[in-house]
Amino acid sequence: MPEPDLVKTGIKGLDEVLFGGIPRGNITLVAGTAGTGKTTLGVEFVYRGARQFNEPGVIVLFEVAPDKLIRDAALFGWDLHELERDGRLKMIFTTRQLFQQELQRADSPLLAEAAEIGARRIFVDGLVRLPESTGGDPRDAFHLLAEGLHRENLTAMLTLESTFTDPAAARAPEEFVADTIVRLSIEPVQRAVLRSLEVVKSRGHEYALGRHTFRIINGQGLEVYRRVQAPRGLQREAGAAFDPTTRVTTGVPGLDELVNGGYFVASTTLVVGISGAGKSVMALQYIAEGARRGERSLMITLDEPPAQVLRNAHAIGIDLKSFIDRGLVHLWYEPPQEMEIDRHFAQIEAIVETFRPRRTVIDSLSTYGSSLGATERSFRDFFHAIVALMKEHQITAVYNHENPEMLGMSSMMGEFKVSSLVDNIILMNWVELGDSFRHALTVAKMRAMPTSRTTHECEIVNGQGMKVLPRPLRAVLPVVPFAGYLGLISRSPERRPPPSVPETP
Amino acid sequence: MTPKRIGDLLDRIGCLEHPCDLDLLLFFNRHPQAFLKSERLAEYVGYDLPQIQRSLETLMTAGLLRQSPESTRPARLYVLTRSSSSPLGGWLSSLLRIAATREGRLAVIRALKQRRSPGLTGGGEPEPVANVGPRPRTLEEPHA
Repeated sequence: MPEPDLVKTGIKGLDEVLFGGIPRGNITLVAGTAGTGKTTLGVEFVYRGARQFNEPGVIVLFEVAPDKLIRDAALFGWDLHELERDGRLKMIFTTRQLFQQELQRADSPLLAEAAEIGARRIFVDGLVRLPESTGGDPRDAFHLLAEGLHRENLTAMLTLESTFTDPAAARAPEEFVADTIVRLSIEPVQRAVLRSLEVVKSRGHEYALGRHTFRIINGQGLEVYRRVQAPRGLQREAGAAFDPTTRVTTGVPGLDELVNGGYFVASTTLVVGISGAGKSVMALQYIAEGARRGERSLMITLDEPPAQVLRNAHAIGIDLKSFIDRGLVHLWYEPPQEMEIDRHFAQIEAIVETFRPRRTVIDSLSTYGSSLGATERSFRDFFHAIVALMKEHQITAVYNHENPEMLGMSSMMGEFKVSSLVDNIILMNWVELGDSFRHALTVAKMRAMPTSRTTHECEIVNGQGMKVLPRPLRAVLPVVPFAGYLGLISRSPERRPPPSVPETP
Repeated sequence: MTPKRIGDLLDRIGCLEHPCDLDLLLFFNRHPQAFLKSERLAEYVGYDLPQIQRSLETLMTAGLLRQSPESTRPARLYVLTRSSSSPLGGWLSSLLRIAATREGRLAVIRALKQRRSPGLTGGGEPEPVANVGPRPRTLEEPHA
């Protein structure tokens, strides 16, 4: 099967969504309401073509004055003047009617201008839909325009202004003629807004379906983030914790013994407990243990900024700063307010691919739940995606999760229904004894490993961190069979009274 | 910017005589390559058609503007000739910089009018720029 000749847009993230680019010669319609970023997308398509791929381009404008476009482009660091001077760009101001007429004439001076610089790309900004009342056939008119562009062998991007916010209602006759349709939208999320991009159709190649988040970034231009749920490839889908022998040590004295010497490579471990139960301390010890062994370790923190994490580490005797300086630890903080999950995930992917950690901690999973909505499907999809990413790269990952219950737990994950995706679960509890709370740890789940599910006392010592205390009482408590209890299933077990012996008369 | 400095620049550039010359030049400075009918130009710039044609001729004769060759079609491609290396280009850039502000444009127009009618003084409110009477608006057809 022949490979399609794809024209790279050069827009960060968009070519990944388009699986390499737009087939050469396609007419791409960029549809969206005002302010969605259509002009920026089109100008960047031509700018990147001329600048990065040696494909000169033409920008046709009907309403925006070229000097304003040049000024606005400069905010993204695009020097359109320079491209014009070098003969790699022409910006032509005209009317829609004239442009339409000129495309129907092979000897058009307008087309001659494009030919003079060897244009390969064209961006036409600001087509508007012909009102039904004018009696014209918009589909036929657009078809004539498309034919003219095809004749000139130009890969074209055209913006179509839409006043509809409902995509179904916005379906224009032009969309049936265009080869590729990219729809841009802005949707309110709480009190913020989220920009998204969807490739509705694209003839001649495959592309990533669905709505992907994007941003317009000063000094750069557009950046598109594939939606978290979009498949990333077979390698990711098949990622697994397959190594049955290698163990990844926890860094917490006494804990390795409870988890058979350490976690499996590429396994997923959830540490669950109320705030203050010692989850972050365990996380820091896990990261520091990796660094001491020369393994690169990534700590993603949503709850505390880096300076505070460094202070916390110092308090338990870990010089995290020196590990960071030596390139062994990457500490990445993103505040959770108004988190754009596609972008956040793309950033994690980029860090994983460049830093290549062996260990990762995410502190904490519950903060994602607060941002995305714990019961929303997007939270589970995000967690699934991040687990798959870690497994693909054989990273042994630990996720902290805050359980709001202070004493004991009636549910490990509360409303976060993700425990089936997890290999290991460690429960951190407070136990009230006398006038104080003491730390308790229970290994509740170890996939493919034996576990006793016994509860152990821990302590956190200033300057030293956490350790799991030995269990000297083990031999004292008798192991009573189920038959020795009543009410096991109703979760209120009582010891069965010893059978009464009838009195002898 | 003093009227004298503006007068000096106009002297050096030489070809600009009518306010329409300046406004056309400003339009093409914003739209260095424009494919338009002269009627549309008249609507954009705000002067009557005969004056637009005279001013286009002025700018083309001075080598500041070129247009696509004569053809049977009414629309032409107008291309502003930028030559910052020549003295004319340098003076023109200075004048366009001055006229880029509202006050600057009005000052240059005032100077042009004074040259055309030396008896006028420079004080008071500037006169209306264009001699445009009400005319039927041509609604451009949307993309068809």
